[in-house]
Amino acid sequence: MGKLKRRDVLKIGALAATGLGFPAILRAQSREIVILGLWDQTGAFSDVGPLNDRGMRMALEERDMKVLGRSIRYITRDGATQAGASTRRAEEAVDGEGARFIVGPWSSGVALAVSEVAKRKKVVHLFSGGTEDISGARCHRYSFQWAASPYTAAKTVVDNFMKANPKAKRWHLLVADYAFGWSVEKYVKEVGKTHGIEFVGADRHPLGEREFSNYVQKAAANKPDAVAMINFGGDAVAGAREIFNFGLTPRLPLIMSWSSGVEELVQLAPEIRDNLWVGTNFYYTVDTPAAKNFVKNYQAQFKLPPGYAPSAAYSMTHMLLAGFDKAKSDDVQAVVKALEGLEMNDIVGPMRVDGATHQTLRPYFLLRCKPKGAMKHELDFGDVVATGDAPLPKEYAACKDIGPF
Amino acid sequence: MLYALMGLGLALITGVLNIPNFAHGALFAVGAYLLASTANLIGNFWLALVVAPLGAALLGLAIEYLGIRRLYAAGHDYQLLFTFGLALILSEAIILVWGPVGYSHLPPPVLRGGVDLGFTFYPKYRLFVMVAAGLLVLATWLFLEKTRYGAIMRAGIENKEMVSLLGIDIHKLFTAAFALGAYLAGIAGALTAPIRGLSPGMGVDMLGIAFVVVALGGLGNLLGAIAAGLLIGVAQAVVAAHWTEASSVVIYAVMAAVLLVRPQGLFGIR
Repeated sequence: MGKLKRRDVLKIGALAATGLGFPAILRAQSREIVILGLWDQTGAFSDVGPLNDRGMRMALEERDMKVLGRSIRYITRDGATQAGASTRRAEEAVDGEGARFIVGPWSSGVALAVSEVAKRKKVVHLFSGGTEDISGARCHRYSFQWAASPYTAAKTVVDNFMKANPKAKRWHLLVADYAFGWSVEKYVKEVGKTHGIEFVGADRHPLGEREFSNYVQKAAANKPDAVAMINFGGDAVAGAREIFNFGLTPRLPLIMSWSSGVEELVQLAPEIRDNLWVGTNFYYTVDTPAAKNFVKNYQAQFKLPPGYAPSAAYSMTHMLLAGFDKAKSDDVQAVVKALEGLEMNDIVGPMRVDGATHQTLRPYFLLRCKPKGAMKHELDFGDVVATGDAPLPKEYAACKDIGPF
Repeated sequence: MLYALMGLGLALITGVLNIPNFAHGALFAVGAYLLASTANLIGNFWLALVVAPLGAALLGLAIEYLGIRRLYAAGHDYQLLFTFGLALILSEAIILVWGPVGYSHLPPPVLRGGVDLGFTFYPKYRLFVMVAAGLLVLATWLFLEKTRYGAIMRAGIENKEMVSLLGIDIHKLFTAAFALGAYLAGIAGALTAPIRGLSPGMGVDMLGIAFVVVALGGLGNLLGAIAAGLLIGVAQAVVAAHWTEASSVVIYAVMAAVLLVRPQGLFGIR
């Protein structure tokens, strides 16, 4: 009998792995459900990604990382706030890790690209953001939108702001120059028309802008009655700070049309928040049992109450898990069908997924920030002064046919 | 003027020590955070404005004395890695001390709000920063041009060996130059805090601009750094007035255009 060669050892090892190990691996793989959280850890939304991850992780841990009696394997990838990186990493997770359910990313423009991957790879995709296209012109069977429609947001903010400030008829807009900004701007202008608002200026700025002095100079020159920003995160904080430095606020009201809430407000001094009106998809004092429970657990872990970013990830994950429960299956098409028309009472209150467009019909909130003297504690940023859930009117609906699988 | 202030500090360090200081942006952030903390602690913005950059200078002194000094013979690769690593450590230290969430620090009450200049409306605090940064650049320039120690620093930029042979303690010169550079970064950060707010990554943008200023002015050239700082500041303001979206890109466009014509920078000889 000849000596055992290295090549023979490798062959035996490979056979052993195939015969003994692989079925076990395959069994484990077929039993676990892989869900991808595509959250930005770098790029313009690098500050938001970790918050998204917190929210999603909390929702999964509440269920002990299990659904349908099977383990959930939660994997995350850095979307880098870029379409190229996000789509590449989503595809790698689908092909290499067996992920068939994607939640995220955060940027509307990037999410639209990921939505195309979901369509091509036939995997479920949940997203929360301000673009109307995911549940509009570029709708398809696999992508779902959790955030309120830009129309719902604009209607809630403009109608209720004008109710409180009927004389503020000259508005200057500062708009983030990407899919989210364009969508919300469109409906702010549409709803504004019904109130006779004159838009005396509308400047667009790139995502990640930090120097707002030139934009605010232009706004001041237009002598508006109110300034409305349609931007998010660091852009919104930098903009609000500069508007205060120019002395426009608190003399004029400033509207943050689509804010993350807590995460932005905590970065602004109380003096800057004076006469600030904030539209948001979630605020931590929303009076629902699910929100109370979530806020309590979140604050116990992270001190600050949750804003829109962790809340959206948390509730999207709830929605996906409810889809599994309703479908009693992890088959992609079965989960999609279950999500279509799904009704649930979650952190923002009653929600229903419109089966025809995949838009979640849900409330949107308008806060009025408190002056420093009226704050009861340092996190008492403001009160929810209005809630609105007006759905997108049919004449604006761009999703005519959600299409086949 | 803030760009000139940052660029001047970096040019001084690059010129005298001949090292690329990637921690310059982090020192800028440290200056901003020290201003906010000191002002909140003592309730006096003006005193904090004096104390905060001194803290950055002390930190700079320690960095040179305890770290960089040991790497002069090691070559640029090690110096680059050291300052780059230091920048990361300082950013993480800021997160540990002040937390990951950004916040705002208001200008003193007397400088809040804007003034109508006739042709435009402008914040009082920004006008103050323009004047203060201008005076600081002038004071630094006078120190370097009119004082004996300034002359030694300039001589150190030109020829370190000669300065050393004249019996001047070259190590003390290096420490002083690094501390002065850190002071200028710190005061630029302190002045910027009420405008840009505070966040752990705030030094990154400014570091890029400071390197543009140094490259544009000519490596290690102090007058060049001042001129380049003013040039890109004016270019940015002019472009922003007519084409706001391009105001960030113009900094790099100006650098590329100048370096195509004069690869050694505006006033550089190497």
